[in-house]
Amino acid sequence: MTLAAASHGFLSPTGVEIAFVLVGIATLGAALQTVTSRQLVHAALWLVVALGGVAVEYLLLTAEFIAWVQVLIYVGSVVVLLLFGLMLTKAPIGPSPDADSGNRWAALTVAGASAAALVWVVVDAFRATWIDLDGTVQGSAEVSGRSLFRFWVLPFEALSVLLLAALVGAIVLSRRGGDAKGAAETSAPAAGEERH
Amino acid sequence: MSDTLALVLRLLAVFVVFLVFPLVIGQTEHKVMAHMQGRLGPMYAGGFHGWAQLVADGVKFAQKEDVVPNGADRRIFQLAPAVALLPYLLVMVAVPVGPHNAVGQALDAGVFFVLAVMGVGVLGSLMAGWASANKFSLLGGLRTAAQLLAYELPMLLAAASVAMAAGTLSLPGILDAFHWWWVPWQLIGGVVFFTAGLAELQRPPFDMPVADSEIIFGAYTEYTGLRFALFLLAEYAGIVVLSALTAVLFLGGWHGPFGADGLGWLWTLVKTVALCFVVIWLRVTYPRLREDQLQKLAWTVLIPLALAQIALTGVIKVVIS
Amino acid sequence: MSLPSPDHHPSTAPSRRPRAFPGSGLAKGLAVTLRTMTRKSVTAQYPDAQPDLPPRTRGVIGLFEENCTVCMLCARECPDWCIYIDSHKETVPPAAPGGRERSRNVLDRFAIDFALCMYCGICIEVCPFDALFWSPEFEYAETDIRELTHERDKLREWMWTVPEPPALDPAAEEPKEIAAAQKAADKLAAQQAAAAAAPPPADNAADTTGEET
Repeated sequence: MTLAAASHGFLSPTGVEIAFVLVGIATLGAALQTVTSRQLVHAALWLVVALGGVAVEYLLLTAEFIAWVQVLIYVGSVVVLLLFGLMLTKAPIGPSPDADSGNRWAALTVAGASAAALVWVVVDAFRATWIDLDGTVQGSAEVSGRSLFRFWVLPFEALSVLLLAALVGAIVLSRRGGDAKGAAETSAPAAGEERH
Repeated sequence: MSDTLALVLRLLAVFVVFLVFPLVIGQTEHKVMAHMQGRLGPMYAGGFHGWAQLVADGVKFAQKEDVVPNGADRRIFQLAPAVALLPYLLVMVAVPVGPHNAVGQALDAGVFFVLAVMGVGVLGSLMAGWASANKFSLLGGLRTAAQLLAYELPMLLAAASVAMAAGTLSLPGILDAFHWWWVPWQLIGGVVFFTAGLAELQRPPFDMPVADSEIIFGAYTEYTGLRFALFLLAEYAGIVVLSALTAVLFLGGWHGPFGADGLGWLWTLVKTVALCFVVIWLRVTYPRLREDQLQKLAWTVLIPLALAQIALTGVIKVVIS
Repeated sequence: MSLPSPDHHPSTAPSRRPRAFPGSGLAKGLAVTLRTMTRKSVTAQYPDAQPDLPPRTRGVIGLFEENCTVCMLCARECPDWCIYIDSHKETVPPAAPGGRERSRNVLDRFAIDFALCMYCGICIEVCPFDALFWSPEFEYAETDIRELTHERDKLREWMWTVPEPPALDPAAEEPKEIAAAQKAADKLAAQQAAAAAAPPPADNAADTTGEET
């Protein structure tokens, strides 16, 4: 973003740009809190803040549709699912003693590397692209829908096949217990014993 | 400058509506429920048929001690009521009440906005349920989450059907494209949307997350005083928002048999209030659904119905275009 | 998969009622509540409107102390011992000169602890002299439990609130007193009629009177 802004006068930022940077910093802070917090549910709630911050960034870039989808899917559903899962565990109120694993340095390395790769790719790809915030809205539902179904149909369909596969897989996994029991009763009682 | 002033005035109007309407609905619920059960309801507060009962309740809540349980996660516990309440205020900003831009703030993807933000409100219940350090609260939070996951999908699909019919995601845009025959056309979607919305608000008969006979008051068990009142206010604001959204999406909002221009806002109001009445009516009439029945209703009835509605919308849309 | 076998279902199906249009039950429920709403509610607004209590209401126990002979039956029958009676004996001078002096019980204290009383009404049932009565009066709440022990003057005051006994049901049996009086009157009338009819046939009259006595 800063690189792109540089060509347009980096030294006199507009209000939107200032807001963008501030929200970005807040989002980054929330994201850091998410990964460093020792309280599991706090981490999930910081994730809400981070995802909401990203949604605000989308809004500032006039991608309204993407912003609301971000809120709907990530804040409204994914985090709820996450919290649901956390409530099913024995996550205590207060710090979890086993929240840290010995792999934190490895994780940090991987995270830093992937972040660097992503930033590099994005900066390299969109170096000269400039979003004109004052002109026609470029992230409205209409524009997004048109580009999605005109230029990105194949990835879209591939994604839906992937999701379908995940769905079928989930059903198979959840039904497996009953199947195994039935199989054990009919064909291989010894295997059934082992599994129990 | 006048633009800013107009915006501030609009937001102020939305805020006033947000503060007044839930109380009106709450009072209506007191009285309607009482009469449906052969009682009178509040009769003394304020003199005339207990009109000030909720004001009195508010004063009572304000006087109560604000207790945070010892083992609770203090900050999350205190933050939860605000998280539960504020989304409904935000949604109200986007609901159009009349033609010619009579809306707090017109949004391009209004349908997505309202559904997304309404979903966030449930996060408040989850935070409350987890942070209370109470097993009943935790169970209530779990049920809330399960219910939200089950009912968000049919609600979205039903709303998507209307958006498909109108060819736009903007709420005023949908109303501009509205014709009277959309009501029978989108009837199934409307029923699914309303039902799923009731479930999302945890209103009876979908009030398993706050089932008092089993888990006291679910996620709100540990709350007292003003924070508890905020949760209640969130519930009634949710009723207003849900009714207004159903009226806008499925009943044609400001469109009416007559008085199209001048009385548009009145039509929206009448439809919203009628739907609020239905919410109360359903609460009085039906017993609570069991948890498995709840999930079954969502996954095996509402989602197929919503999908069928989308198919129907698509077919008719292709036929008439 | 170990689902219940499909032939299990038909056995339960016939016992079910024939299904009406789906959702008709839901609609019926809605109709019930809506109809109730349009009707006038039956709530009596108590402090504003006094309740219309039936005469046999067990509100409070009144004492008609003029009838009390301090026989103590009520206090002894009371299951939770909530009746307190104190008395002393007085000697009454002979009614006629030269007669014997009589002694009689004089009531000093008669109190009922309504915090203990369970309103069984046994004391009223057992009182042989009709000194205790049920009254529908119910507004005697106190802020202190000790003040619920009411003394004889208060109990006597409540006597004024005891309503007349209710009229009997149209098909009810006659009260025993009236039945007994009626029987006696009938007998007397029959005797007189017999006496009036007796004189002309003298030999028959002797037979009938002999049978009668």
